Amino acid sequence: MLRHIWLLFRRKVIETLRQPVWVVIGLSTPLLYLALFAPVLDAFTGGPGFGEGDVLDVFVPGILALLAFGGGVGAGWLVIEELKAGVIERLRVTPVSRLALVLGAALRDVLVMVIPALIVVLVAIPFGFHAHWDGIALLMVLLSLVTVTTSALSSALGIILRETGSLAAIWNGVNLPILLLSGVLLPLSIAPGWLRLLAHFNPLYYVVEASRDLAAGTLTSGEVAQGFLVMTALTAVVLWWATNTFRKAVA
Amino acid sequence: MTAQYAAITRDLRKAFHLRGETIEAVRGVDLEVERGEIFGFLGPNGAGKTTVLRMLATLLPVDAGEAWVAGYDVRQQQAEVRRQIGYVSQVGGSDPQATARENLILQAQLYGASTADAARRADELIQAFELEAFADRVVQSYSGGQRRRLDIALGIVHRPAVLFLDEPTAGLDPQNRANLWDQLRELREAGTTIFLTTHYLEEADVLSDRLAIIDHGQIVVTGTPQALKHQLAGDVVTIEPCGDDHTLECLQHDLAALPDVRETRIDGGRIRLYVADGARALPLIFERLSRAGVGLEALTLATPTLDDVFLAHTGRSLRDAGDTKEMEA
Repeated sequence: MLRHIWLLFRRKVIETLRQPVWVVIGLSTPLLYLALFAPVLDAFTGGPGFGEGDVLDVFVPGILALLAFGGGVGAGWLVIEELKAGVIERLRVTPVSRLALVLGAALRDVLVMVIPALIVVLVAIPFGFHAHWDGIALLMVLLSLVTVTTSALSSALGIILRETGSLAAIWNGVNLPILLLSGVLLPLSIAPGWLRLLAHFNPLYYVVEASRDLAAGTLTSGEVAQGFLVMTALTAVVLWWATNTFRKAVA
Repeated sequence: MTAQYAAITRDLRKAFHLRGETIEAVRGVDLEVERGEIFGFLGPNGAGKTTVLRMLATLLPVDAGEAWVAGYDVRQQQAEVRRQIGYVSQVGGSDPQATARENLILQAQLYGASTADAARRADELIQAFELEAFADRVVQSYSGGQRRRLDIALGIVHRPAVLFLDEPTAGLDPQNRANLWDQLRELREAGTTIFLTTHYLEEADVLSDRLAIIDHGQIVVTGTPQALKHQLAGDVVTIEPCGDDHTLECLQHDLAALPDVRETRIDGGRIRLYVADGARALPLIFERLSRAGVGLEALTLATPTLDDVFLAHTGRSLRDAGDTKEMEA
């Protein structure tokens, strides 16, 4: 099974390298946030929710979480293309592990997420971001779980929905509330109580909280433990469900 | 018992549920596909051909009935079945973003071949299916015929005992179709059983050793193309008279009374007469026509085709029968 995962992962990476335009576009989003949104935050330095340090110390982890969340979304579109070309069907007749069908794409998405994420960190440093590399390393692991989850979710939805229109509708409907309730852009500690309560039902909220601690070099806080706990459980459930969807797919 | 057949089904059934509606796509199919033969599955769109094939290929769960492929139970032993079969769907299955060589190597590796073996097997197939000239270009740039050859090469990478092909020549021009037939015959000579669906009469007739005709989810008749046509012993006279529908019906009534005529059918402005002996029947037909004062647009005398076989068993012509949409699922 590991070999199947490796083979399909490599296949996906080769295909991604043939269309580098998507990698470039994926990279431009976080850099635009850094360039065009972060300067606005300068006014908040030392304000509520931002503490003593640089605003970027709060803002960059949020951007990284955003990157990880969006990193897996595209998988469903590729699955639908492969369904139409009969590729999924061909693979399902081979003895290939169904988990490998999900993970091959998900790990490609992780790679395509981690590289720009590290670039964002490097770019942010000269503007005042304090990088704690042990925390950043652990953060990348947490963010990888996020990307695997969204990628597997998107792939399975692609199999079920079979057309890009409905897939786009679902993502658009879910995307904004998840982002707004996660504190990606501004910390939710400055939000009213009811909003903070709602956020506790959003897995990405725990990721963002853990990300801020990790980026600050705090590796053992309760938030970090919570983030890993929530994401590990969620990743396991989603992978199980997506694998099952590929097993039963009748499309 | 089951291992002697490439594929065997007993009372195979499948229904689909769509928006509260139940569509019985396959309603009790019994099939026996011998090892080493090309078995054709002929029927109009929506007859259930693809559904049967997909169940045998482990892509669709079986609702009821039994099915074995290469001696393995399709319901219980999917992993074993998958090792024994190749399957090429109607839309193909090659990855459009990859080259032919990459497609073939990955497919071989997924079946467990080492990198070196996979590369060697890819070379073999590239040669056998004449893909050399474009083997290292991405599939997206291929013509329909080139792509179809690769699709089939992908289906046999692991030398399966049974190869399932769903409408393998759909959309191909006559030249490419004939080439593909030759390649399929070569595969049969090498010992592969080929089970293909088609709605082309000529393909079923020329290519298959034996065939089954399916309609509305049930097998209508099974046999060699020759035997099926011989069952309708005699000739088919088709006449296209001048005049309206009324003339057509009167004439049919008239001609049905002739001693040599066994059966008559109206088929889109023409009357088809099934006669024991064409040479003897023709003068009588002419005499009846001139007595009725009806002129002729056209007249042909032919031996029966598989369409006549289909017509004799279902009461419809295969050309008009594709009324229901083929279930994609």
